[in-house]
Amino acid sequence: MLRASVIERLAIATASTALALLIGVSIVAAAGYDPVQFITSMIQGAIGGQSAIARTLRFSTLFILTGVAVAVAFRAGVFNIGVQGQFVVGGFATIMSIIWTAPLLPEGIIGGVGLLLIGFVAGACAGGAYGALPGALKAYADANVIITTIMLNFIATGVVGWLVQNPFRGEGNAAPNTERIPEYVSLPSIVFDSSGFSIIGLGIALATVAIIFVVMERSRFGYDMVTSGHQESAATYSGVGAKRTVVMTMALSGMVAGIAGAVFAIMIQGYYTDPSGIGTYGFDAIAVSLLAANNPIGIIPAGLLFGGLESAGSHIGIYTDVPVQLIDGVIGLVILFVAVPELFRMAAVRTGLGGER
Amino acid sequence: MTTEETPPAVRMEGITKRFGDVVANDTVDFSLEKGSIHALLGENGSGKTTLMSVLYGLYEKNAGTIYVGGEPRTFESPRDAMDAGVGMIHQHFQLVETMTVLQNIILGHEPSDNGFVDTSTARKDIEEICSRYDFHVDKFLDTKIQDLDLGARQRVEIVKSLYRGADILILDEPTAVLTPQEIEDLLDLMEELADAGHSLIFITHKLGEALGAADEITVLRDGEAIGTVDAGETSEEELARMMVGREVQFDRPPRDPPKGDTVLDAEQLHVRGSRGLEQVSGVDLTVREGEILGVAGVQGNGQTEMVEALTGLRDIDSGSVRLNGETITDTNRRQRIDAGIAYIPEDRTTEGLVQDYTLVRNALLGNQTVEPFVDNRMIDWAAVHDHAGEIIQEYDVQPPTKSADAKSLSGGNQQKFIVGREIEHDPDVMIASHPTRGVDIGSIEFIHDRLLELRDAGMAILVVSSKLDEIQKLSDRIVVMYEGEFMDTVDPVETTEEELGMLMAGHDAGSGDNVPSGGVQL
Amino acid sequence: MSFAEYIKGNSGRVAGIVVLVAAAVLAAVAMDLPFLEIFTVGFVERSLQAATPIALTAIGGLYAEKSGVFNIGVEGFMIFGAAIAATMMWIISGGSPGQSDVWLAILASVLVSLAFAIVFAVLLIRYEADQIVAGLALWFIGLGFGPFMAVLVWDSRNSPSLESINDLTIPVLADIPVLGPIFFDTSPLVMFTAVLAVAAWKFLNDTRYGYWIQAAGENPEALDTAGISVKRVRYAAVIFSGVMAGLGGAVLLAQAGSFTGTGETMVSGRGWIGIVAYLFGNYNPLGAAVAALVFGGLDMLQIQLQTVGINVPNRLVNLFPYAGVILVLTIWGTTRTPSAVGEPYESEE
Repeated sequence: MLRASVIERLAIATASTALALLIGVSIVAAAGYDPVQFITSMIQGAIGGQSAIARTLRFSTLFILTGVAVAVAFRAGVFNIGVQGQFVVGGFATIMSIIWTAPLLPEGIIGGVGLLLIGFVAGACAGGAYGALPGALKAYADANVIITTIMLNFIATGVVGWLVQNPFRGEGNAAPNTERIPEYVSLPSIVFDSSGFSIIGLGIALATVAIIFVVMERSRFGYDMVTSGHQESAATYSGVGAKRTVVMTMALSGMVAGIAGAVFAIMIQGYYTDPSGIGTYGFDAIAVSLLAANNPIGIIPAGLLFGGLESAGSHIGIYTDVPVQLIDGVIGLVILFVAVPELFRMAAVRTGLGGER
Repeated sequence: MTTEETPPAVRMEGITKRFGDVVANDTVDFSLEKGSIHALLGENGSGKTTLMSVLYGLYEKNAGTIYVGGEPRTFESPRDAMDAGVGMIHQHFQLVETMTVLQNIILGHEPSDNGFVDTSTARKDIEEICSRYDFHVDKFLDTKIQDLDLGARQRVEIVKSLYRGADILILDEPTAVLTPQEIEDLLDLMEELADAGHSLIFITHKLGEALGAADEITVLRDGEAIGTVDAGETSEEELARMMVGREVQFDRPPRDPPKGDTVLDAEQLHVRGSRGLEQVSGVDLTVREGEILGVAGVQGNGQTEMVEALTGLRDIDSGSVRLNGETITDTNRRQRIDAGIAYIPEDRTTEGLVQDYTLVRNALLGNQTVEPFVDNRMIDWAAVHDHAGEIIQEYDVQPPTKSADAKSLSGGNQQKFIVGREIEHDPDVMIASHPTRGVDIGSIEFIHDRLLELRDAGMAILVVSSKLDEIQKLSDRIVVMYEGEFMDTVDPVETTEEELGMLMAGHDAGSGDNVPSGGVQL
Repeated sequence: MSFAEYIKGNSGRVAGIVVLVAAAVLAAVAMDLPFLEIFTVGFVERSLQAATPIALTAIGGLYAEKSGVFNIGVEGFMIFGAAIAATMMWIISGGSPGQSDVWLAILASVLVSLAFAIVFAVLLIRYEADQIVAGLALWFIGLGFGPFMAVLVWDSRNSPSLESINDLTIPVLADIPVLGPIFFDTSPLVMFTAVLAVAAWKFLNDTRYGYWIQAAGENPEALDTAGISVKRVRYAAVIFSGVMAGLGGAVLLAQAGSFTGTGETMVSGRGWIGIVAYLFGNYNPLGAAVAALVFGGLDMLQIQLQTVGINVPNRLVNLFPYAGVILVLTIWGTTRTPSAVGEPYESEE
């Protein structure tokens, strides 16, 4: 992706975000709102107080997980745009598997932990399978993975949305939601007194980053995967089976997305609902991963940044009259600028800050 | 015959072209007489395509002058060259597959009426060109390029150049993709064009072809023009010698004859190339312990495909391969690495090393199943680190920095690293494909010494090379590959350049006359 | 290409469609569907209308991809097109728009789309932005700033009722049974799009500029050595695709008569469907238009079936195009995307 040194990447990431925010603030000012108030509201929304921080961390957890899912694939040279679909499928599988197996297990902590495990495993497997599918289509049928994963996103949203509306709608629910999972199946809040964020969720995210990091840097599979992304002919020379690697990469990417879905379903929702109402974590994850140059460790600060942005957006939507859609627009701008490293390289060369050309 | 007054169609004087450190063309002089066919002959990497790319305006020369029809010209882009009447038919055709022949020929020069293409005028003009020669292209103007075979596509390319007004035509390896019949047709066509006053240059590495088709032949080697000869006055042996060359006479070290068991053997190998044509046609080979088998031959005779088949990078159509007696014909690449086949690849930049990786990361390439580097599927980077250091030290890799990117090293040092890495596999058999291509003299000697050491220590080695001196220095036995088959096996001590040259051109050793080895003699 | 050639060259696709249609007919007969009540003239009219924004976007998008640049930001362009048309209509007319304001709004939307398209093209071509990422970025920007504009003007993501375009009746022709009302007594935008589709097809196949566009996407080197600037051709194609998508959004707005900015906005994936349409149509403007019509029909089918008392889940029916693309891509490998798509072209050594 970005063939740049660490410092260059950091600089591009910072510059992209700063520029996007600058444009955002200018638009806000041009539209007649008070820019200063806007900025302070954003900061308040992101880190101003317990509930704000909890909210930021809640979003960050999801961005970190989905970001890692994207990074795994991109680093291996596979454009998985389907993390949103894999996230949805995983989360849905999590909820349904818990609902169905709950009667088989005792209530209380033991059952709760057991159901959590079942839920996570189901989510990971469902996500993995949903990712492996386009991977196999690419490897064996040469089907363009970008298009197939985008299509599968829509299909996931549509099918799950229909399932939630009809066959699996919770009894007596007016809204298209499934049943709720049992009370004792949850990730306890512990640190912040808020529903929706559990430090354990964040822990899972960080643990996933660590595991993926180890896999990519320390395992043979990771080496094979990354080498395929860099120079496929050298990978083949060294014995890597190209097709198998593509499928396994997509499966791994989907698995992580599925785990993200599981965390979302258990930690935040407690049931499953129409996916078109869920946030576009899977798409924003692409921005997160690009900002981090597809490096798992870098995903953590990038995820926190996006979590802060999203949280700020929520706050602004509630407490100010600046339309919250602005934040989505700003995120879009960040992605746009990250996609154009050339822009910053040229600027750097012109202003003598660096750059080689 | 040209008189003194008619200037050469093209004259290139003192052309030098550098790419970074590599001198691709070193003060090359070249002259093309009007109405003649001139072959530019040389091995891969000799600089012939570069020279013609300079003429066609694709590359900017670093020094020298170009004259077209006696006038000095500068070409900053192919458009300038086209304006001067120079047309080039590339090895990889510049054709838009989904568009028709007509559309491709007129692309960029369409006769138009308010933007709408005037196809009837175009058709007439093309038919006119085609009627001058034996072209037939006008018969299928509405066929899409993707539906044409390669011979037909080539004709379209030629008509395209003529439509754009080219007097001088450069053809880059035109026979590489043609069947023998198509080659004959092409040569007839070239004669017609020359008779009509066009001047043609064709680039090739096949010396028989050059002799058969050209009036004059210029040989390039390692970026230098070795000489220009009249086709009627030279011989294949002379050309082979000029192409492949004799630099410093390396002394062949004395050695005991190998007496070990057979390590690697292949029987009746048939392998198809990437385009579906058979490239290896029934090859038998054996390599014994403590023996270097040298496979000589001009590139493009199936050596690449054979090596890929042996190392597991290409499927075998029929035949078998055995390692230490066990059949490995159907095993994949990784399995063959594990079985003990080390491979110094032909192309170090795309296969042998990941250019963006450090030397440490590259040290793992091919070693992913080797303990202690990988234990239980987890990598022990400390061990890899040490290993990289060992390779760098023992194989004289400069600069000796483990964290340097592979691409920052010179060709020779990259190659030494690869050689070291592969030798350190401690394999049962080592396959080395053009191990010293594009490498400096010092590194060449180093690599040769290492290979000979291995041989003395009992390893079985297969070396493929088009450098005759290298083959003769290293090999215990030499076999020449021609058109997918092995010709005779010769003794390196007793054979002569002439004999090798003849074998490489497809003639059985020991026959005085030019006996065709089957098919069209080219 | 001729009809016969099209069928031969796309036998897989044609076979697939035949099978699908046959299956649908069988299902319909088995379920005893009242055909005539479903496939009414009104249904066809509505399908054409629904197809128009998709067709416009598809035609633009295929020009860009034919020239070698994958503009997947068309969904974003459509959102902007719709939002700008709506807000402009409101502002120009001071709150109570009439027919002429609708036309002015469309024009304004096209002009703004042109500006955005130029910027986007520069980023993509001059600065070699990653095409996938930049396109996605544009979608997010649209999802954000589109409704943002609505809130600025109306304090709500949805607009109040504006004015929608009136049908145009061509005398005499409109009285032809069946065909008359469908083609000659309908929205002028539908007529315009039909004409545009034909013009786009002619332009691509019969003009020199069309040749250049095709070459730029298949083998830019061939075009370069023929003396034509690949970059300029791509700029033109990308800008055209942005403008067409913006127009598609504006037309969507003009037909609906109000702007909906909630959720995925009123555009609701039509940009993506437009991409699918031109893939299905094999990069042919006429094929893309027909494919758009099929999708438009599917969209309207839901309503038709409801009127006869059949409830097929809309959500599932809407997924058929997506599943179809996956099937086609699988069976046919790459849907013959132009060979040089996605790679920036450097004409230096």
